[in-house]
Amino acid sequence: MTELFAAASGEVPGISEAVLWAIIVAPLAAFTAITLYLRKLPKVAGYLSIAAIAGSFVLSLITLVDVLGANGGIAIHTHEWFQAGPLEVALGVRIDGLTAVMLVVVSSVSLLVQVYSQGYMEGDPGYGRYYAYMSLFITAMLGLVLADNLFMLFIFWELVGLSSYLLIGFWFHKPSAAAAAKKAFIVTRIGDLGLLAAILLIWTRGGTFAIDQIHDLALAGTLGGTTITLFGLGLFAGAVGKSAQFPLHVWLPDAMEGPTPVSALIHAATMVAAGVYLMARFFPVLEAAPDAREVVGWIGAATVVVGASLALVQTDLKRVLAYSTISQLGYMMLALGVFGYAVAIFHLFTHAFFKALLFLGSGSVNHATNTFDMRRMGGLRTLMPITFWTFLIGTLSLAGVFPLAGFWSKDEILLEAWVNNKGLYTVAAIASFVTALYMFRAIFMTFFGEYKGGEAVDHEDEDSHFHGDPAHPHESSWVMTVPLLILTAGAIAAGWWAWGKEFHHFVEAAVPAEALHKAPDFSYWIAITSSLIAVAGIGTAWAIYHRGLVSSTEIRRIAFPLAALLERKFFLDDLYERAFAVQAFQRGWNRLVEQFDTFAVDGTVNGVGWVGQQSSRVLRHAQTGQVQLYGAGIAAGVFIVAIIVFIANPL
Amino acid sequence: MPLTVLVFLPAFAGLLALLLPAGRAQYARWVALAGSLVALALSIVLFFDFETGAGFQFIDRETWIDVGAFEIQYFLAVDGLSLPLVVLTTFLTTAAVLVSFNIEYRPRAYFACLMVLSTAVLGVFTAMDFLLFFLFWELELFPMYLLISVWGSGRREYSAMKFVLYTVAGSAFMLVAILALAFSAGTFDMQVLGTETITTAVLPLRWVFLFLFIGFAVKLPIVPLHTWLPDAHSDAPTAVSVMLAGVLLKMGGYAIIRTCVTILPDQANDYGIWLAAIGSISVLYGAFVTFRQTDVKRLIAYSSVSHMGLVLLGIGALGTTAMVGAAYQMLAHGLITGMLFVVVGLMYERTHTREIGRLGGLARQMPLIATGLVFAGFASVGLPALAGFIAEVTVFLGAFQKHEWAVIMAIFGVVLSAGYILWTLQRVVFGPVRHEWDEADDQKHWWEHASVVGLAVLVILLGVYPDLIMDMLDPAIEVVSARVGA
Repeated sequence: MTELFAAASGEVPGISEAVLWAIIVAPLAAFTAITLYLRKLPKVAGYLSIAAIAGSFVLSLITLVDVLGANGGIAIHTHEWFQAGPLEVALGVRIDGLTAVMLVVVSSVSLLVQVYSQGYMEGDPGYGRYYAYMSLFITAMLGLVLADNLFMLFIFWELVGLSSYLLIGFWFHKPSAAAAAKKAFIVTRIGDLGLLAAILLIWTRGGTFAIDQIHDLALAGTLGGTTITLFGLGLFAGAVGKSAQFPLHVWLPDAMEGPTPVSALIHAATMVAAGVYLMARFFPVLEAAPDAREVVGWIGAATVVVGASLALVQTDLKRVLAYSTISQLGYMMLALGVFGYAVAIFHLFTHAFFKALLFLGSGSVNHATNTFDMRRMGGLRTLMPITFWTFLIGTLSLAGVFPLAGFWSKDEILLEAWVNNKGLYTVAAIASFVTALYMFRAIFMTFFGEYKGGEAVDHEDEDSHFHGDPAHPHESSWVMTVPLLILTAGAIAAGWWAWGKEFHHFVEAAVPAEALHKAPDFSYWIAITSSLIAVAGIGTAWAIYHRGLVSSTEIRRIAFPLAALLERKFFLDDLYERAFAVQAFQRGWNRLVEQFDTFAVDGTVNGVGWVGQQSSRVLRHAQTGQVQLYGAGIAAGVFIVAIIVFIANPL
Repeated sequence: MPLTVLVFLPAFAGLLALLLPAGRAQYARWVALAGSLVALALSIVLFFDFETGAGFQFIDRETWIDVGAFEIQYFLAVDGLSLPLVVLTTFLTTAAVLVSFNIEYRPRAYFACLMVLSTAVLGVFTAMDFLLFFLFWELELFPMYLLISVWGSGRREYSAMKFVLYTVAGSAFMLVAILALAFSAGTFDMQVLGTETITTAVLPLRWVFLFLFIGFAVKLPIVPLHTWLPDAHSDAPTAVSVMLAGVLLKMGGYAIIRTCVTILPDQANDYGIWLAAIGSISVLYGAFVTFRQTDVKRLIAYSSVSHMGLVLLGIGALGTTAMVGAAYQMLAHGLITGMLFVVVGLMYERTHTREIGRLGGLARQMPLIATGLVFAGFASVGLPALAGFIAEVTVFLGAFQKHEWAVIMAIFGVVLSAGYILWTLQRVVFGPVRHEWDEADDQKHWWEHASVVGLAVLVILLGVYPDLIMDMLDPAIEVVSARVGA
């Protein structure tokens, strides 16, 4: 069944359904072929995977052009999948401006990361397996953004979780990687509980999973405020897990155990943005449920603060970027909380490029130095010029410096917040100072000053595929630097699409107009303020970490309680893992239930058996085979019966 | 006729195996394999010959014992509910035979027991006369007792006896209920019982319902009648664990739908909330205890208690969607848990331990077994595109309207199962390599591959193409839910 919804201009996308399915199927075919046939041919697996994602990328571009041509009209192609009683589940694809943008983000970053991995993963014993998992991830992520209903979206949502698990734990012989993979899956699943509950609720009360019907239900207001609020909060719980929002952000820093290209693609550019996509997809629900929207905004703000403040104290370059990602995802949620539907997606779009760039840059650095520890780096500016300049541009973009991509999207978030919620604006503005500070701290520690020697190669470790010389770091090969350069172009120019609100109109066509608020007009005051804040952050970093005008150890000494709090990650990991998971849950509650099971439940069963055996041991004496004894028994019985009869019927 | 052939074919093969001359004992496995494959093929033919939505089919019906007031029939038939379970049984029997291929101790008797067990289970799923049903139900005990107590390990006599006593105790209640129904309605015919309304009863019908339920709940099993299951699993040989988790537990769920709900719809309506509550409690309780297990087989056994709780939750909701979900969960759990036990059995043959603390790093030395364990583990967690997900979500969706709180409790099982499964995988499959198993041969025998791959393919098939089964389940369950007025 196919439905077409014309855009305001009256046009519909004419892209054929087969193309849309092919976008998902291409990487799926690569995954299947690698898993079944190409275990022994890792090189071929790599090329096949890249060819498949290149195909998806081209088709995504064609789709984007088509939808652009239709001014963001909507097409839905849906088919019955299975049915049980009144439950009818469909499989379908939906194409509109939002999906088209997501398709291009996912497939372009995937393609670049896959090419980069040719260099980064070279010589790894799991090379073929790596490309299989990555293909599975790309399939799931593309399916997630194409799904036309919540049930199908949930399926791909869980499958990206699986591939994330497999890729975080890619080097599974490392206990830390195995633990991080488990943690990521379980923590995100806690959020998924909410998403599942939301699915149950909307089907039970609304009778549908279809995205467009849920939009209509939300806007029509027939479901009642409580239901729609609970539905919105349930969705958001899923988004909190997947998009690493406070308080479920704890899995993302640990997820850096995975290979760096994985971090770039999954844990920066695409999968972690899925929560933002989900909330944007169901934006009319937030419109209909102001309480839920308020929660989204403030959780986003808390995440901005937590991520930015923890990024300040990391010594591991990848972890700086991980906390930065958390913080930026918080900005996107905050934007949704202040009616900034298009703005949130715009920031997702620009962030994908500059953050993937930064992660791949950190991978390039790691390839030269064999470490992510910034205290063992320094001075790489001249040794790795391409990596340095691309990393610097990515950082400036993230810090929000004019005219780079990040400037435009962050500025609009601040503007929306200023207009709609001054409290959220204050949080966002202060955090953007910290953003510039922690990123330039990383820049100065990594690329400036003296080179500190990196990490010596452990030749005993048979799993290490490091083949450089950390004592003499050098620029990475072209398969790694070319993707960096292309992403740099994105980090510079991706924001220009929003000129004249082109981008906004395009993605806004994907939701009913009555769910949208008019975006505020560009404000020079906000733009200048936020630029000054960014420059102040950069200057502070320069003063502390480059010129040493203020000693960072001195700051740490003065602000000791705060520093300790940050270095222990607000004690959240200790609270969740040690206090709750291990002590309260496993050693406390579960042990109690187990003891109950062993002693009370099974004990009763065995007790009944024991009573049976004991009583038979006693009763055995009654059955001796001696006729005299039986006779005595009969006589006694008759006597007793006679007495009872006598008592019952006295003469 | 085809059903009779199908039901007795495994036992016939078992008899042939038993009659092999002593010098040819090693051929017993081939006889059993041939028998199970023919039965599997026959059941698949029936599956595709079945006319969806046309009620009971392939009817074999003869008067067996006629004592005036009562007629006891030899009555076999299948509908859309029982036929998928029949196919599951023949399929898992084949898998069980394959994983037993290297049995060396008294192979003829072993395969005879295994095949008779298969016949008993097939009989339970096809019998439509209540007394015949009961006979098959009891027949299953003999081979099980022998299989655990002779070919088992650990405290095998204790576990075998516990299994038998538990089931027999439940059967005592069941028999009282069956007789009460027969005396009330004047027939043992389950098809008639399932369409008529009993007006005068010799025993209050709520007692009949309760007694039937107790008999079946032991098999399911529900909390608190479950403690025989971990003992039986941990001491049973691999193939028996596969049969036990894969199909024997399903006899309980099947019988509750077929008899408790269908024959006594009013009582089912009264007690549905209790079934749902017990189901939810089983889901959570089973999961909590699973976390504490250190023996992989006991761990899977307790996770079964948790997963079978969903079956009862679905039944307790009484709606079509929920009961279809419950039936689907039986199939999914049969395949997934069967696969878990197969893989753990293969692992045990190479490592000689099931203690989680002594395992670790298997992914390097045994990549195929490790992959199988990860796959089955994620299937057990309810990962989409695999069978368990469809089942779980269908149960939840179907039950939510009627028993909101029971479902809200039960969905926590989704996180708990992820917790205990992934924690187990982390400790068993991942982490540093342990060198004592460097010599272990991952890919020893074709039959080990065949059973693992076959199960995996079905788990995926049921995950991506649910209508293959749902089309069949749906009309059959529709009849049941119409009877309870849901």
